Amino acid sequence: MISFPISINEGARLLAEIEQRSGQRLSACYQCGRCTSTCVAAFAFDYPPHRLMRLLQVGMVREVLASKTAQLCLDCMTCSMRCPMKIDVAGVIETAKAVADEAGLQDTERNVRLFRRGFLNNVRRHGRLHEAGLLIWFNFKTNNPMNDVKLLPLVLRKKNFHIFPPRIKNRRQVRRLFREINGSGKQG
Amino acid sequence: MIGVFICQCGTNISATVDTGKVAQAAAAMRGVADAESIQYACSDPGQAAIAAAIRHKRLDRVVIGACSPRMHEATFRRALDRAGLNPFMLEMVNIREHCSWIHSDVDQATEKAAGLVRKGIARVRHHLPLSAGKTAAVRRALVVGGGIAGIQAALDIAAAGIPVTLVEKSPTIGGNMARLDKTFPTLDCSSCILTPLMVEVKQHENIELMVNSEVDDVHGHVGNFEVDIRRKATCVDEKKCSGCMICQEKCPAKAPDDFNAGMGQSKAISVASPQAVPLVASLRKEHCRRFSGGKCRVCQKLCPAGAVDYGQQDEVVRQSFGAVVAATGYGFYDWTGAYPTYGMGLYPDVITSLQYERLLSASGPTGGHIRRPSDGAEPRQVVFISCIGSRDESVGRPQCCSVGCMYIAKQAILTKEHIPDSQSYIFYIDMRAGGKNYEEFARRAQTRYGTLYIRGRVGKIFPRWGKLVVMGTDTLVGDQVEIEADLVVLATGLTASDGAGGLARKFNISCDENGFMAEGHPKLKPVEAEAAGVFLAGACQGPKDIPATVAQAGAAAAKVIGLLSRGELETSPMVAAVSQSKCSGCFKCRDVCPFGAIEDERPAAGRTAARVLASLCRGCGICSAACPPGVISLSGYTDKQLLAEVVAALR
Repeated sequence: MISFPISINEGARLLAEIEQRSGQRLSACYQCGRCTSTCVAAFAFDYPPHRLMRLLQVGMVREVLASKTAQLCLDCMTCSMRCPMKIDVAGVIETAKAVADEAGLQDTERNVRLFRRGFLNNVRRHGRLHEAGLLIWFNFKTNNPMNDVKLLPLVLRKKNFHIFPPRIKNRRQVRRLFREINGSGKQG
Repeated sequence: MIGVFICQCGTNISATVDTGKVAQAAAAMRGVADAESIQYACSDPGQAAIAAAIRHKRLDRVVIGACSPRMHEATFRRALDRAGLNPFMLEMVNIREHCSWIHSDVDQATEKAAGLVRKGIARVRHHLPLSAGKTAAVRRALVVGGGIAGIQAALDIAAAGIPVTLVEKSPTIGGNMARLDKTFPTLDCSSCILTPLMVEVKQHENIELMVNSEVDDVHGHVGNFEVDIRRKATCVDEKKCSGCMICQEKCPAKAPDDFNAGMGQSKAISVASPQAVPLVASLRKEHCRRFSGGKCRVCQKLCPAGAVDYGQQDEVVRQSFGAVVAATGYGFYDWTGAYPTYGMGLYPDVITSLQYERLLSASGPTGGHIRRPSDGAEPRQVVFISCIGSRDESVGRPQCCSVGCMYIAKQAILTKEHIPDSQSYIFYIDMRAGGKNYEEFARRAQTRYGTLYIRGRVGKIFPRWGKLVVMGTDTLVGDQVEIEADLVVLATGLTASDGAGGLARKFNISCDENGFMAEGHPKLKPVEAEAAGVFLAGACQGPKDIPATVAQAGAAAAKVIGLLSRGELETSPMVAAVSQSKCSGCFKCRDVCPFGAIEDERPAAGRTAARVLASLCRGCGICSAACPPGVISLSGYTDKQLLAEVVAALR
């Protein structure tokens, strides 16, 4: 059941925050569904992109923030490219993801969130991605240390899998970049 | 020497009818000198081929197997005329609507087409040359209905120098448009753009304005309609009244406010609105104390002009017109009986869109402040429900009202402008915004004014703690919706206006199943009624918005001007004639004639016989069928012709 007026719950506040941070006008969406038609990941979502936009329009923000969609979106931006109303749909989903993380509203797709956190911390620390470090960290964090170990000989033979962290010039500037974007550098 | 031309009509006919075979069959018939199949008979080369055949093969009568005569009989008559043949030596056989379009089997359709053509050939042998007569046309037009359609039509006709009588049943012209606040998609103030036109009608030297008047009775036909117009008694002398409204102020009898669609109250004697044209009071006897047995005569005593006259009687004026424009407009669907779950009109805060329009209007009962009827509070949550009595077969109204989507978008925008912290919700089924700039306008209602569009119909409305709970659904989310509303506005659909049906019968205008007047052809005769000399303007022909209404009114005016500018009209030669020497004088014909075209005459001493007045006869043939000795014949439809057809059909 959807109830109006939505100002009686926190929906309106969160909605305003998503609109403001994403810079998108949700009311412009007329539900043509083109975003969903082009989405490559929608099979894994609980709400396809157009439905997510509609839920936001009617103030069902909690459902959106707690959704798998917000976590599983690949940020491929196809929906944003194709939207006839020029709405950056991926940007809206991305913002919903951030708002959800900050508000601690997420309890789904724990591994996805963990991987994202590890990925960004890894880049912040080394200046660029250290795949081996990330994978080992992730395997231990998820209590599955032998995950994908069978693939090790294969990737070693390809010679682009480095055991030691990469060294780049001026790692500090990358860290400053992270700081300037959002202070803590913890979320995506 | 008969020529037979079978049109292929591209593939319209030739796909189902073997036109070559039909032509072959025709060629074998007695008297047929030429029979051919033509790709498009109505095209320039097609007509040229017919003309060439007439000249070279010395044809004296022509059968054309093609579409309906309603479509192209006039075209081919002209072609015959140009080729030097009497235009009435033509017989059209309809092998398209009556054959190819409705059949699929080629052999059978071909056989049927050949049979139809055989009938036509048998009939055309008995054709006689006829010539059209001329009759004088009265150079004056009647416009019925004083809304924007009637106003525009009257002004356009009058501008061409043709006198116009504009008849309006209510006390002021302006119609529904005068009651609107703003108009979509430009948000022009409705009365600001309408009032100048209303005043121009009043002041125009070629326009006679008759308000509080209705068409009583109609005689005659195109070029000479004799119309009785009833001026209803209003107890106020229109010439004396100055519109000072003292009578309205002092009148002790309250009465419903028709102009404000029942919002607010008026008095038994009142001026419809401050912008009324003419600005004259009128008295409604049913609400007046004096006429319900009292002794009150306040208005008469106080009127500074001495204009109140309780003894005024209805007056019937007879005028003649050459042409008529029906512009009776539209009414709003009465929802109260049909939607019990919306409260049947029992909840004061469930109102119609026209009532809401009056709340928005500065000249309305609240001076342009939105106040809900129940307690006068300013609403914050306003719900609009579209398609009330539209697209709803359960209440017998399948049609789209065509303006609802737009006027609700407009009202939602105006609501936000009046009350910035309000929220409007629109329940819709499909959003139809087809006109110029309409889509952008409706989109703006959502993006700039924050209107929430909810796709779905409302199930029920019920009161709860001073609010109205609207139970609906959002099909895009796939869930139920509940809104605590302060005010609910129902977008009621458009109906034919009261009395339009009666007027249509008087002028022989046919109406469609929804009560709207039928145009002559949906594509090619959008402003002509089926009855000659009668034209349609505006929403009487079907729901339409203001720009479309004004355009149609202009088109109707152009047709009237075209008809009356020559001063005379061609009459059809297909009229009845009585063989007076054989007439027994029973006058059955006079009894059955719907046009009063038969009079008695004394051709010799001691006996009377019937005579047909050719100028009034419309060629319907009823007299010919009714005549006991069978001495009335209808030119073009003589017994000989009809019997020849029947014999050919039965062979």
